[in-house]
Amino acid sequence: MWTAFRKALALILSGDRELGNILLVTARMSLSSSLIALLIGVPIGLWLGSCRFRGRQALVVVNRTLMGMPPVVCGLLLYMLFSGVGPFGRLRLLFTVEIMILAQVLLITPLVAGSLETYVSGIAQPVRETAKGLGLGAGKTFLLLANECVYPIFSTYLLAFARAIAEVGAVSMVGGAIAWKTNVMTTAIMQYTNRGDFSLGIALGLILMAVSLLVNILVSLLQRRLSR
Amino acid sequence: MRTEACAKTFGGRTVLSLPAIELAPGRICAVVGANGSGKSTFARLLAGVIPPDGGGAVLPPRAEVRYMPQKSYPFRLSTRANILLSGGGEERAEALMEALQIGRLARRRATGLSGGETAKMALARVLSRPCGLLILDEPTASMDMEAAILAEGLIETYCKETGCAVLLITHDLQQARRMAGDALFLYQGRLWEQGPAERVLFAPERPETRRFLEFYGGA
Amino acid sequence: MKKLLAWTLAACMLLCLLAGCGGPAAGGSQPPEQSAAPTDPPIDESQPPEEPAGVDTVILKEQDDSMINTYTLLAVNPDAPFTDEDGNPVSDVAVNTAGAEALIQWMLSEGLDMAVQYGQAEYGDSLFYLLDGAPRYEGEIAAAADETRTIRLSTTTSVNDSGLLGAILPAFEREYGYTVEVQSAGTGKAIAAAKYGNADLILVHAKSQEEQFVADGFSYVLDGFQSERLSFLYNYFVLCGPSDDPAGVKDMDSVLDAFAAIAGGKYPFISRGDGSGTHTKELALWPEELGITAEAESFEGYTDWYTSANAGMGACLVMAEETHAYILTDKATFLTFQANGGIMG
Repeated sequence: MWTAFRKALALILSGDRELGNILLVTARMSLSSSLIALLIGVPIGLWLGSCRFRGRQALVVVNRTLMGMPPVVCGLLLYMLFSGVGPFGRLRLLFTVEIMILAQVLLITPLVAGSLETYVSGIAQPVRETAKGLGLGAGKTFLLLANECVYPIFSTYLLAFARAIAEVGAVSMVGGAIAWKTNVMTTAIMQYTNRGDFSLGIALGLILMAVSLLVNILVSLLQRRLSR
Repeated sequence: MRTEACAKTFGGRTVLSLPAIELAPGRICAVVGANGSGKSTFARLLAGVIPPDGGGAVLPPRAEVRYMPQKSYPFRLSTRANILLSGGGEERAEALMEALQIGRLARRRATGLSGGETAKMALARVLSRPCGLLILDEPTASMDMEAAILAEGLIETYCKETGCAVLLITHDLQQARRMAGDALFLYQGRLWEQGPAERVLFAPERPETRRFLEFYGGA
Repeated sequence: MKKLLAWTLAACMLLCLLAGCGGPAAGGSQPPEQSAAPTDPPIDESQPPEEPAGVDTVILKEQDDSMINTYTLLAVNPDAPFTDEDGNPVSDVAVNTAGAEALIQWMLSEGLDMAVQYGQAEYGDSLFYLLDGAPRYEGEIAAAADETRTIRLSTTTSVNDSGLLGAILPAFEREYGYTVEVQSAGTGKAIAAAKYGNADLILVHAKSQEEQFVADGFSYVLDGFQSERLSFLYNYFVLCGPSDDPAGVKDMDSVLDAFAAIAGGKYPFISRGDGSGTHTKELALWPEELGITAEAESFEGYTDWYTSANAGMGACLVMAEETHAYILTDKATFLTFQANGGIMG
């Protein structure tokens, strides 16, 4: 393990180009997918949590089911759809970072929506009652509700990012772990491990954890600053 | 202003069943009754927060209603911004904060206020604009005596100046006696007694009302 | 702020804990850079290489004819009978035939020489050998055009893990301007990728499946070649085990005898158990009367010595090292494992 630490440090310090590319692709993929999932999932979560309508409970159950969707299943589904013989084969998206992002958005959006829904449904009733009592319209009430969610949105983002950066099943399926193109930290770790190169795998794992720690610290600082 | 007859059931149990009630403008009407007598449900029906059974509205469609729930929600904004939400303007907000002695909290985030401070903020928020009917559900429950007296004065002034009808739901019999011109006594979801406060709150006709008054502060 | 500090502290403690676990093991193993290649003497058939301190598992049998492993290139036929999941024919599948042709031509000319050399620098030993009668290409190779620039090569994990493609393909990309996207998966999925229209050519080592691929019409004969299947390289699986070799397989005449001895003495054996090429090969080496197949029931009675790991090669090697077990592996993975001092062991 000590050797792995030294190797990790040496790798980072040597500015290894392939490692740099892997880090870059990982960052691009997980940042994009978590942000897109946030943009889609937050309104859905707010809507599901705050509005009372027929079929809402059914939608919540569907969303919770999607939250538990195994990544490989999601990956397999997209693989079939975007294969050369699949209905979207013409788009030639398979084995690109874009489809990895798509897969992760599909995986993460339900998580974001579900986590927001749980929070919002807890505060929706008093918020709506108070706003109605002040004669505020539906639009303004929704904005107020969204404003209440700033703090949980940050923690939800961390959840989304953590899932994105650590996910391997779906991205290896649709991304193909192609060197210099779609290889990310997790697929590279798998590759190195299968190859018997554990120290490189651990080195990458350490970098992954360090990046995760860094993002956590940054987002938490931002959260404290913005939600005071 | 006149309310329609209304009823509310939860899970098959009738919580409230009331006849039409006349509310006089410029007067405070106290609503008293034990826990579970349907006071808050009545307030929420009037405010339009929950629909009465059979749909429709309890109040005439154009009535402008302001309502302060029992647990009025402090929005994640400054105290001043919270009060400005109802659109009463800067000047009115400043005056209300001054009157309730929360001027120094104007820039503080409302979510960090104490229980009493939150209640003052909520009262200022609901009083910052004139309306036709003001419904207050236990507005002073978490205030201390001094603050409650301040609040009562403000509510009375507001009622007089705007000429609106005020429905004051309260547990505090002394407060009801101090403020109300009229009173409603609810008992197990029914309107048990109504009339001028001097009669309902001091010399009620029905034994249930008398028992309630004895329990809560002597007849 | 205090909360944040506590948090950071907790993370640091976690890292320290991880480091602490590795502490004792680190003392025993030397840095791999110093211990790998230089101390290895040239290999001959009976003498396994000196292993670096820390790894007990050694190569006991190699270059045996029953462990031969032949690598084949196949170009994907653009007019193949592609179908979607429901079996409906799909006609307009995009295949970069020109790119695939260029890559195959290069692999059978300059690439061939590089492939045979691969491994000499790092391990002092070739990992791939030139097949007798392998097709050779002598003509011109077309440079990349916009349409043909990206070549999708589907291959098995073991090929990719050997590092061969990473070592030789950059030369091709530099010289002719192509970009080769190598996707690796298990043998079955690597071939399926081509059938799904997701590859321009495949590089695999599973004869029966290659023949099926050809029979199904998914490949075609390139100009100037005799066959769809262009077999060009080979190497051997190796049988590894603990250095004290309790079953005495090192001195056996053949690998088949060695496997019989392992089974007879119930010496621990780690099987990939994942349907990979290595697994398939291993299944063919057991004495027939044992009846070991890929089915779990077939080795139900042997679980006291036969472990079906259902894991990648690397993970299986660690398991073999830990349990002093015998194992069938490709040579490249084993050499990497060994060069790293079996880091988990």
